[in-house]
Amino acid sequence: MPPIDEARVGAAPPRPWWIGLAVLAMGLVWIYGATSIQSTTAFVGMGPEVMVAAVGAGLVVLGVLLLVQIRQGVTFRPQEEENADADAPPSRRAFLFSLAGVALPLATIRWLGFPLTAAIGFTLVTHAFGSHRTLFDLAVGAALGVGAWFMFSKLGIDLGPFLPLIR
Amino acid sequence: MMDTLTQLIAGFAIALQPINLFWALVGCALGTAVGVLPGIGPALTIALLMPVTAQVAPESAFIMFAGILYGALYGGSTTSILLNTPGESGSVMTALEGNRMARTGRGAAALATAAIGSFVAGTFGTLALTFLAPAIAELAFIFGPEDYFALMILSFTSVAVVMGTSRVRGFTALFFGLALGTIGIDTQTGQSRMVFGTLELLDGISFTVVLVALFAVGETLYVASRNAQVHAVLNPLSGGVWMTREDWKRSWKPWLRGTLIGFPIGSLPAGGTEIPTFLSYTLERRLSPHPEQFGEGAIEGVAGPEAANNAAAAGILVPLLTLGLPSTATAAVLLAAFQNYGLQPGPLLFATNPGLLWGLIASLYIGNVILLVLNLPLVGIWVRLLLIPRPYIYAGIVVFALVGVWGLSTSWMDIALMVGLGLIGYMARVYDFPIAPALIGLILGPQAEIQLRRALAVSQNDWSVLVSTPISATLLAIAALVLVLPLLLRRLRRAERRIEQEAAAK
Repeated sequence: MPPIDEARVGAAPPRPWWIGLAVLAMGLVWIYGATSIQSTTAFVGMGPEVMVAAVGAGLVVLGVLLLVQIRQGVTFRPQEEENADADAPPSRRAFLFSLAGVALPLATIRWLGFPLTAAIGFTLVTHAFGSHRTLFDLAVGAALGVGAWFMFSKLGIDLGPFLPLIR
Repeated sequence: MMDTLTQLIAGFAIALQPINLFWALVGCALGTAVGVLPGIGPALTIALLMPVTAQVAPESAFIMFAGILYGALYGGSTTSILLNTPGESGSVMTALEGNRMARTGRGAAALATAAIGSFVAGTFGTLALTFLAPAIAELAFIFGPEDYFALMILSFTSVAVVMGTSRVRGFTALFFGLALGTIGIDTQTGQSRMVFGTLELLDGISFTVVLVALFAVGETLYVASRNAQVHAVLNPLSGGVWMTREDWKRSWKPWLRGTLIGFPIGSLPAGGTEIPTFLSYTLERRLSPHPEQFGEGAIEGVAGPEAANNAAAAGILVPLLTLGLPSTATAAVLLAAFQNYGLQPGPLLFATNPGLLWGLIASLYIGNVILLVLNLPLVGIWVRLLLIPRPYIYAGIVVFALVGVWGLSTSWMDIALMVGLGLIGYMARVYDFPIAPALIGLILGPQAEIQLRRALAVSQNDWSVLVSTPISATLLAIAALVLVLPLLLRRLRRAERRIEQEAAAK
């Protein structure tokens, strides 16, 4: 496989404020959501809104704690993973190609069907990992998609029509 | 004791049925393969297979899942030793010495001590599970809802504190999972919660979708963006499969010590496999008559941690089967699999479904034998899996992730959730948030809520019920200790250091 030779974007920002803010925002959404849940008095104990509010409050506290940590300069190092270089700057191109492969079914699976979607998604991900053998990858992806569709359909798993366009 | 043996024999009668032996073989082979291959762990494999196994009898499905759980441990040691790439955290210690052995032409002996150690520990661990699980299940009958709630709080606290590098990040992951668990219709009152007007969310977010997204999608995006492009050196197998007399002599004690360390720690909430393998390695290094060989390829450094790793895996099943308490991501998936079949692990399951539970336990013994056969003489075949180019492995993972999610109910919303949560899984890796607490929060959160409501309903809304029994009070006290103790210890250490520095300055 030839190495990816595109420009690499910078490493994770040293102060990711947005993480603390996102957790805080999620907590506030959950607290707001709890207020819109009707508390039933027919139920002895606690109503359905209590857990939602408690989780929201917890997230708010954690969001604030994360912001405090970020302000104090606590580092957020990427995790060590097999086949991944945690210290390497991330490749935006590879990330976008793999994300496209994962997100593609949102746009295509209903009208292209599972086998074709799987084939294209497969090729996009192999491309993200540095493969440039597009036709070969498409063929491998198609074989995998078709094989999976037939095998899982036989096992009783509904993966939709084979090719919805020509149904 | 006699009752346990009778039940175990009945379990063997189920596990030895040809169809179940077939599923055990499939599970062991799949487990070994996913242990060898990067990017797929036992948790993800079981989650992806859950929809498929809906057509299979629960006994067969769980026998296969058990094979996957154990098989992944055996497979993980192969990559650790031959490639120096531990497939899962429990194999990190094995890689330290095992790969050194492989580099000096003793890879076969390292693989053999790892496989036999895994077999010994797996068998002794399963034996302990056999006799301990029914006793704990009996004990669990006296648990009231407040005790169960306290147990879940302990589980949450332990998981958030132990997993990952920071408690704040551990708790953030846990609360994220708890938040996801509140989405959907409240089972007690029928009210919808946090569905944001989306009908598809009324049933809640599927555990499989969350798991596939956080593990498979998150991992693929992360590895793609930081692809090491490293061509790992596969050390060739040499030196024969069997160990020398000296290797046996140096290995048998570490196997037993590893088992003794691994099983009890694995049984604890959030015990996992990292701590026992690390402890075993440290102990072997301290006890070895050849400490100078550590770091250069000491066989004890492979034998002990590998045994601890497998014994811990058997230990993980104790709280899961007796109390319905998952302590790792894989255990959380197994709990979800039980729930998929409408079963709830715990003391009642021993009474209502003895065939399933004892068949599963018996299959662990059989699985260990199958795995020894699959891994010792056939290791060369598994190593060939490493020849599959990485792009095809990760692209294949994405295709099977799509099968798992789309196959649930051919719902566009599930795919949208997979993409969104996959991005969160990616961010979790970039900013070092552990994933297992999120899964445990998602699966245990709704149960904790049910138990809390039951306790409050019984006590007529008196919150002091939560500390009203010795069990619940003790468990909550331990949970508080788990939370506070590391902080106190750190402060103590800092104070000690300050005093030392002041003394030195004087």
